[in-house]
Amino acid sequence: MALLGLSEELRLLDDMARDFALKELVEGREERDRYPFAPLFEEVLSKAFEVGFFTILSPEESGGATEPVQALCLVLEEVCREDASLGGAIFTVALTQELLRLAGAEEIWKKICAGGASLRETLPAFPSFHNPSDTTLSLEARRDGGAYRLSGKAEYVVLGNLAGKALLPARSAGEGWSLFLVDLGSSGVLAGEPVLSLGLHACPAVDLHLDEAPGELVGEEGKGEGYFEAAVDRLSVAAAAASCGVMKGSFETALDYARQRMQGGREIVNWSEVRMILSSMAVRTKAAEMMVREAAEAADSRRAGWELASRAAALQVQEAAAEVACDGIQLLGGNGYMQDYGQEKRFRDAKQLQALLGMAPLRKLRFIRRVVDGEKPWVFRG
Amino acid sequence: MWRKGESSELLREFPDFTDTMHSLTALERMPIGVVEECRQAVAMARRFNRAVAHSYSLDLDRKMQEDPTHLPWELVEEANRWGFFTMWIPKLFGGKGWSLTSISPFVEELASECLAITNLIGVHYFGYSILAATWNIRLIDLISREVVEGERNGKPCLVSGAVTEPEAGTDAEEVELLARAKVRCQARRVEGGYVVNGRKIFISNGHLSTWHILVAYEDLEHPDETMIALAVKNGIPGFSFGRMEKKMGQKGCPASELVFEDCFIPDEYVLVSASQARDMGMRRSPREAGMQLIDFVVSATRPGVGAMGAGVARGAFELALQFARETEVEGRLLVNHEWAQCLLAEMYKNAALARLSYMEANYSNSMYGMARLLGFKPLYYYHRYAPNRVMDRLMPAVNAKEAVTKVFRKLVMDGQSDEEARRASGWASLAKVAGTDLGVRNCQLALELMGQAGLRHDRRAEKCLRDAKLLQIYEGTNQLNRLNLFKCLVSPAAPEARVFED
Repeated sequence: MALLGLSEELRLLDDMARDFALKELVEGREERDRYPFAPLFEEVLSKAFEVGFFTILSPEESGGATEPVQALCLVLEEVCREDASLGGAIFTVALTQELLRLAGAEEIWKKICAGGASLRETLPAFPSFHNPSDTTLSLEARRDGGAYRLSGKAEYVVLGNLAGKALLPARSAGEGWSLFLVDLGSSGVLAGEPVLSLGLHACPAVDLHLDEAPGELVGEEGKGEGYFEAAVDRLSVAAAAASCGVMKGSFETALDYARQRMQGGREIVNWSEVRMILSSMAVRTKAAEMMVREAAEAADSRRAGWELASRAAALQVQEAAAEVACDGIQLLGGNGYMQDYGQEKRFRDAKQLQALLGMAPLRKLRFIRRVVDGEKPWVFRG
Repeated sequence: MWRKGESSELLREFPDFTDTMHSLTALERMPIGVVEECRQAVAMARRFNRAVAHSYSLDLDRKMQEDPTHLPWELVEEANRWGFFTMWIPKLFGGKGWSLTSISPFVEELASECLAITNLIGVHYFGYSILAATWNIRLIDLISREVVEGERNGKPCLVSGAVTEPEAGTDAEEVELLARAKVRCQARRVEGGYVVNGRKIFISNGHLSTWHILVAYEDLEHPDETMIALAVKNGIPGFSFGRMEKKMGQKGCPASELVFEDCFIPDEYVLVSASQARDMGMRRSPREAGMQLIDFVVSATRPGVGAMGAGVARGAFELALQFARETEVEGRLLVNHEWAQCLLAEMYKNAALARLSYMEANYSNSMYGMARLLGFKPLYYYHRYAPNRVMDRLMPAVNAKEAVTKVFRKLVMDGQSDEEARRASGWASLAKVAGTDLGVRNCQLALELMGQAGLRHDRRAEKCLRDAKLLQIYEGTNQLNRLNLFKCLVSPAAPEARVFED
């Protein structure tokens, strides 16, 4: 990320994230990406946890950053430049934490954190590729005295086979849906096999089957949509940052290759059509970087209009990333399609990341609905 | 008043009517039997999809993710039982002799279910098309009959085509680039044959094939003038299989490395070479003959890849439609939302445009490409209705005679004008680029519509996208194909243009 104008704290964080990514995420990437047919990279997850990548959004006194959205964006971008799977895990935890905060349940987060030193006891799981308001929920909650019992299926719960607890959206009596915290070790919770997916292979997800499983209501009943949309406001830009990181990795790899690969007697970087494709990749990546930067800064300083800026960044950057990563394969030809160069993984990851926070067309419609309803889309006021 | 010849002159102006209206031109020339063959081919593919491909394709893809070294012999044997490896081998050589026009609709249909399975079946005909493009009738007959025998005795005999090298992909598809390329696979002339050294990579079906149609070069300093095609059979000393690639998609069809180490190929397995062409008195220079060989092949195979694009465009569309029909958004089925209807219409349109492109290219190739003799009506009907047992008794002895090869080469190779070659090759590139770009586009759209469901292997859409991306790369990257399209179809309007010089 262009660092001009960033605080000293953010610069240091960016350096640290870059070093971490180069040291921990490059070597063995192909093998890690074979999950679920290879072991899960728990060691890397633990290291990321130790350096604080999973608690960036925490209040400052608990080790969080002073400009949390920008900090999260920097980390996601640097991490996803090398391996977006870790980015998917960091994003999911941040989203869960944000939902808990919005629902006034920070105590739960603290409890999760205090639960133990182990990764499994600490990280929460959440279905981060779905907006529960998009489609009808299968999971249903029934009041049982002072507690709730949940039954039905929760699909594609990210980190669901790793985490001790999951935050799950479910329908309950009355309008709307609610958030419930479910202990994944409790009776009545059955986790399926890891779901084989397009990308982010090492960011595991499972389907959970619940049968009268005990759940703790988080926030108010029926207010899930409100919490979720507010979380989407704040974290859309972080999703965009993850995609921006993939774009950078894809472009850098393509440029390196184009400088070395010969065709028709010279390096392919010297054919003008190749330059045209490289340029279009670079321009879209630069535009993504600027968009993320501006939206993240606006979100941290809560400048009026930051919410739509954040959402626009996600829609725009995620789509561009899928295109750039596609060109990133194309420039390497057959080699780009093989696992050895990392480009095919970036292509899959970029498309997978586009589905973060729910179906893209519906996010687009929500964006314009808010503009139609009177939110100002263009300028930051104040 | 119209001046004599005025109308023809006007029609020859850019864009030449003959360059643009292939289906109209083909209407009067095409034997009507071809229509019925296309209908039957599509019905056959649908039957296969239902019986085999639908349930098997996901299992195979998953299996390959788990064990990338797995060789899907079970699929080869199944396709062999269905008779797919001989359907488009001419009856002259013992095959079932379906018209070439019918292969693309068949391919589209298979591809709408699974591109890996489609490629495993289709790429046999890529290998076969290089073999056929040499018009070496004796060897075509020999190898074809082994494929037919393999079908009869249940031991599949497939043909692969070996062109791409580690340092030459695009370069191997165009003599202008080949002249400056770093090719390494050399066939050195020795007493009684050639000694081959070098490696070929990304060879689809390599490990699964019995015969490999190898394109090599006699002089590595002048590969454009010394291209040579050799028939290599498994088991020959000096030839072995190297690694299998780990691909993003089309995983069920292996991409192999072929390794040649002092591999001696006797003269009788030389399909075509510069000296052979010279001895037969062919009219094109070695370099022009090399380009004609490439064009013969790609004019036949690129529309097939376009058809794969059309197929996956359809497959992705069908998955999106199914999702829209069963998913409720804001209390209404997605399929009842206006924006979703427009999106689905767009996807249907993309598949239809891809189909129109490959059919147009098919007509062009059937009139101007390497197999046009077979579309000549009397020959077509004789070929279609002559009983196999008569053919099989007569033809092997006839086909073995060198004079027959010479007659065919004179008719087909010398008989093809540069204009005809340009038309067939240009349209093949057009169909390839159009079909594959539209195919990838529809996969992207399907995934956007389906959100989280689209990401899951068990919902099929993500596999479509992984599989489809390869279509923009093989049979010449879409960039090479755009340049070939420019060379063949646009540069006639810009005589000052030089292609591949930049």
